[in-house]
Amino acid sequence: MTSTYSPDGSAHSGGARPGAARVPRWSVLGAATVLALGVQAVLALWVAPADANQGDAQRLMYIHVPAAWLAYLAFTVTAVASVLWLWPRTRSVKWDLVAGASAEVGVVFTALTLALGSLWGRPVWGTWWEWDARLTTTAVLLFLYLGYLALRRTGDSPDERGRRCAIAALIAFADVPVVHFSVTWWETLHQEATVFNPKLETNITGTMAWTLLWSVVAFTILYVYLVRSRTQLAEMQEGLEERELANAIAERIETGESAVTV
Amino acid sequence: MDDNGGYVIAGFALTGGVLAAYVAWLGVRLRRARRSGAGTEQPRG
Repeated sequence: MTSTYSPDGSAHSGGARPGAARVPRWSVLGAATVLALGVQAVLALWVAPADANQGDAQRLMYIHVPAAWLAYLAFTVTAVASVLWLWPRTRSVKWDLVAGASAEVGVVFTALTLALGSLWGRPVWGTWWEWDARLTTTAVLLFLYLGYLALRRTGDSPDERGRRCAIAALIAFADVPVVHFSVTWWETLHQEATVFNPKLETNITGTMAWTLLWSVVAFTILYVYLVRSRTQLAEMQEGLEERELANAIAERIETGESAVTV
Repeated sequence: MDDNGGYVIAGFALTGGVLAAYVAWLGVRLRRARRSGAGTEQPRG
């Protein structure tokens, strides 16, 4: 696949997503997310021109690239939050919950990246899947963070879980630069990055470039919304578990006291 | 849309569907957590 995109072939091809996701709570951020994604879908599907080489298949770039960007962003936030949890001076259960929330969102977008890449690869490469370095390292990334999420569900004290998961998150994060640079380090079927390539040459111009930029911004707003909601849910669940534990202890004490009294 | 339009529509539909499902799932869990009183109730004893 070539690495530049344009309607006239001077720069060459790539994908985005429709908004319309219902929000659990209508808020300014939720409204901004829906609006941004709606505009993004219009730009990607109707306003941006078709690529001279790939035709309409290139429109998948406007969702494939932002999904991959969000996966990078999400796992970076997970790594940073994990370091903040491990660092004694900044340790707070909040960082552990943010790390978990961001990793979950990252897993959703990594899976989407792979699925969208497969949908794009079929018309332009002639195959749904290749054991190419970029595709393989991305699949490994998905399974690493699925393992991380599984680890979060193991029953343990919040401290023990936090330490174990923070270390696992940092180990898993090592795969993120490998995924990004895989197209530089190895001969791959996957093209080099359109923007953040080693030469920092932007291989996309005009309306296509603006549409891609808007897509990345819209997905980033979506990420903030999703992580905020997921963290809020985790905080509520954490609080509920603590209260249930406190209630169980209180009941035990009451029962013990009445047994002694009787 | 050209001959590959089906892949594009499938990609956008998949993304929209996955995100809508995830947001709906989050919404259901949040409402359930609020109904159960998480974050407001005080521990007994």
